[in-house]
Amino acid sequence: MATRTASLFDAGVIADRWIADYGAERTRGDAMVDAADPHGWRVMFEELAASAGESLTDARERAQRQADDIGTGFRVAGDSDERPWPLSPIPLMLESAEWAGIRRGVIQRADLLETIVADLYGPGRLVAQGLLPAAVVTGSPYFLRPMQGLVPPGGHHLNIVAVDLCRGPTGEWRVIADHVRGPVGAGYALENRLAIARTLGGLQARLNVERHAPFFASLREGLCAACERAEPRLGLLTPGRLNQSYAEQAHLARYLGFLLVEGADLAVIEDRLYVRTIAGLKRVDGLWRRTDPTLLDPLAFDSTSTIGIPGLIDAMAAGNVVVANAPGAAVVEAPAFSAFLPALSARLTGEGLHLPNIATWWCGQPAEAAQVVDELPSMIVAPAFGAPTRALPDGQPVVGAELSNAQRAALLADLEARPQDYVGQEVVHLSTLPVVVEGALVPRPFTLRVFAARDGAGAWRVLPGGFARIGEHADPRITAIGEGEWSADVIVHGPVAVEPVSLLPAVDSLHLRRNPGTLPSRAADNLFWLGRYLERGEALLGLIRVLLGHSISADAGAALDRATVARIADALVQVGAAPPLAGHRRAELVGMARTAMESVENGWYSVRAINRQARGLGAVSRDRLSADMIRLLDAPHPTRGGVLDRAGSLQRRYAALAGLSAEHMGRTDGWRFHDLGRRIERALKTVRAILSFGIEASSADDLSVLLDLADSQISYRQRYLTGIARIAVLDLVALDPGNPRALAFQVARIAEHLAALPVLKDDGLAEPQQRVAAELSAMVATADAGTLGAEALLAIEARLMTLAEAVARRYFLQGAEPLRAAGLTLA
Amino acid sequence: MMRYAIRHVTRFDYAETVDFARCNLRLQPIDWPGQRVEDYTLNVTPGGRTAPARAQAGLAHVTRLVLDRPTRELTIESVAHMTVERPIPIPAADDPTIAAVGALARASRDLSPLSPAAYLYASPRIPVNEDIGAWCAPDLSSERGVLDAAIELARRIQREFDFDPTATLVDTPPAEAFAKKGGVCQDFAQIMLCGLRAAGIPAAYASGYLRTLPPPGEPRLVGADATHAWVLVWAGEARGWVGVDPTNGIWMAEDHVIVAIGRDYGDIAPIDGIVLGSGAQDMHVSVDVAPQD
Repeated sequence: MATRTASLFDAGVIADRWIADYGAERTRGDAMVDAADPHGWRVMFEELAASAGESLTDARERAQRQADDIGTGFRVAGDSDERPWPLSPIPLMLESAEWAGIRRGVIQRADLLETIVADLYGPGRLVAQGLLPAAVVTGSPYFLRPMQGLVPPGGHHLNIVAVDLCRGPTGEWRVIADHVRGPVGAGYALENRLAIARTLGGLQARLNVERHAPFFASLREGLCAACERAEPRLGLLTPGRLNQSYAEQAHLARYLGFLLVEGADLAVIEDRLYVRTIAGLKRVDGLWRRTDPTLLDPLAFDSTSTIGIPGLIDAMAAGNVVVANAPGAAVVEAPAFSAFLPALSARLTGEGLHLPNIATWWCGQPAEAAQVVDELPSMIVAPAFGAPTRALPDGQPVVGAELSNAQRAALLADLEARPQDYVGQEVVHLSTLPVVVEGALVPRPFTLRVFAARDGAGAWRVLPGGFARIGEHADPRITAIGEGEWSADVIVHGPVAVEPVSLLPAVDSLHLRRNPGTLPSRAADNLFWLGRYLERGEALLGLIRVLLGHSISADAGAALDRATVARIADALVQVGAAPPLAGHRRAELVGMARTAMESVENGWYSVRAINRQARGLGAVSRDRLSADMIRLLDAPHPTRGGVLDRAGSLQRRYAALAGLSAEHMGRTDGWRFHDLGRRIERALKTVRAILSFGIEASSADDLSVLLDLADSQISYRQRYLTGIARIAVLDLVALDPGNPRALAFQVARIAEHLAALPVLKDDGLAEPQQRVAAELSAMVATADAGTLGAEALLAIEARLMTLAEAVARRYFLQGAEPLRAAGLTLA
Repeated sequence: MMRYAIRHVTRFDYAETVDFARCNLRLQPIDWPGQRVEDYTLNVTPGGRTAPARAQAGLAHVTRLVLDRPTRELTIESVAHMTVERPIPIPAADDPTIAAVGALARASRDLSPLSPAAYLYASPRIPVNEDIGAWCAPDLSSERGVLDAAIELARRIQREFDFDPTATLVDTPPAEAFAKKGGVCQDFAQIMLCGLRAAGIPAAYASGYLRTLPPPGEPRLVGADATHAWVLVWAGEARGWVGVDPTNGIWMAEDHVIVAIGRDYGDIAPIDGIVLGSGAQDMHVSVDVAPQD
């Protein structure tokens, strides 16, 4: 036990005390206690103490804040809110000597899996020679017969694999599972590293920590090298934002410079793959697939898939698109497969597995089944192919000893009829690592996910580190992902100085560019609507604020004229934000304001409802928005203070979002669509406001409200000292091109954007949306505040709507919906 | 021996123009023990391109149809001339038992779509279902001969389920048809497959045609036949695949013509794919199985 004589701020003393107080069970094995050289752990704790002080709880919260900042979100399936995946402040420290063994084993395993997959979908010798029963292959839902005979472009079925390892009581590492279908977690590893690097800043220099960047660079090179064209366009194919690792996929796509695409963004024409972009169809050469392989192509696999790309497998067979990993490869993920890997390794490579599996017996073989039955109490019985089976409680793996008599009888009966559905596996006891619980270090069992990817030469590279999953339970197979789980960074360090990695390519090989390339139509659509919703919400909030008398105009006095209040209420009813005003007492005004601001019941189109839509669009635009914007979009609806306070808080949020998009978004086509959405919506809202408050019988109160809604009170006062005059207000709000809130200003920006966005033909003729914008510009330029009336404003409004439609038709995905052709009558 | 002229016409009418279609057609019958295709013609109007598809999941002739021309109507006509010579199987005392066929299938070294190992497991449209397994189990004790057991089960399904075309649709899962105790050929085939597989018996979905006989004294109605579905049971190397029709409680014999074989409907759907359009579609199917003299 370290003494307390030293200053509490002495990080070394604090670290020693933490380590000394840590009570891991020695018998079980612990990654820190057993470390051959505890130096790495101690340095790490010193850094933790140096940055967070004495409180481990503070350290934990700091790490979590960093992780939240970086934007890790983990969606629990079926939940519409993204939940943060808690990050442990304490990384798993591994020395490079130990790591070298893991790396060697993972590479051997990846090569072995490739050999097996290539044989199963190729010559089929393993099954024909009796090394692997056919039923071990056909039992997997990921055995995809249409892939047979297809040699993947680039020559490999596997490009990216992950292996789950556990550390046993004596420090030996063993494989629990292989992931080739969608190796989730590389993005989390990346994010965890960023968060930990921020909290443990000094670690890098003191411990020779191996970096992540080279791995991702080589992964990218590996996929590029597999493609046919020299400068391929690569996409990360996501099932969409409801997928539980969408956040990770968006992060990876942004980090790797891949397009984040869904099936509907892509099309196969003449056996080539294309992405629908704002500049037309663009060739795609490779996909990192994160959708389920069976849903990838309705013409090759599940014909009911609505997220697939018809013809993709034909394009792959024609050699025109690389799909990583090849569909069907996941057949090797089945637990039943593990039973055969040791023998297959010996047979195919002449050596045993460097990283052994946990021992597995496939019950489809008589002798193995008999052994499982004999040793049932001490075994885990699990579904052989991951799919539910009849006789396991809840279909989950279970330790034999924990079965009730009735459950055991049911299992034994099904083992008679369908032994092929089961494997027996030895029970594993996981080593622990320290985590922070209630301010103290506590041991928790963990597993380690390691990632390997092919580099440009086709050789496997292993991410130094990875992703540790920490659970409450000692055996990871018995817990579902999600509840009660933490993740931790994994730091590989060693005596040899790590070369400072430069991701800067040599000058002569670098192709300079100033835009991020192709903007998929869907991304443009989302950014456009994000802009529209944000303006829509802000405009609605403006109405709510004037209803509550939040004018800076002294003329308006404490309360607005009754007729003006009625007009405001009408405007709120018109947009569907609230039911008609019941009376003019303050309580009724506040009630209406509250409904318009936060009601999500009865279908009121409130600020809150609009913000939800914006939030959803923010979630799907993660790869194109800054973390600050995402955070503001994700912020919960304010709950503190009265209605006016909340309105103020929302107003500041909108202002911050507008500022971020104006000042922090690169001037890309994506930004143009976002701003275009904002301009069109603001122009529409301004026209509406003028129609409500600026045309006939406009009182001083009406005009003051109009100035408030157009955020132009101050501009007006600077120009006119004489009080409010209708023509002057109209000119400022509608026609003054120097007023950034005026209609004319929006129309000018719209025309600019449409002139700058790509056109499809090079014939020099204006496209429809450009023609409509030109008409609008002319209407506004020739208008006169003295004669501007409802008719002209309604015409402008109609033109704006036509413009929005023309933009959608020209740039966005829309129109034809896929129908399923199915022709059958049955008798 | 029977000779048939089979004409299967499917017409789609689209409310709005469609200008893009990619379909898999599995309409050309396969050659199979006991049946031979003498000649075959596929006609698609309007034109479009047809070519053999590169790969397939089951035992089927798959033709890929590519249509890039706008159309409001699509007609697919499949005409086959077949000979069928298939004796009715007779269960024998030395047939392999259910336990034996399961063990043989588990040890199979054949990964092809002919392998019993390919039909041992639940499939996408026929998931594991305990209730169906339990209902079928009394006929499927492990020491019973597999053919004897299969025909008993088929007969029980035929007896205890109602033939009711209004009860189910082509996408109705077996559990629902089982709960309703009614349906059509596919429902009965799926229920039987679910039960056979629960007992560890390799069993495949067969789709095709069944010659129907007119009521006594009435003429045969042209075009009134339908596509049919039944079950193939693997009965060991010597017997191979044997057909059983749970809709009628009979063996597959010379009235049955196999078009395709798979794990379930997903592998053998006569027509499926993607059509891009915005309106509704209307479908009309006519099937005629005409015996030739």
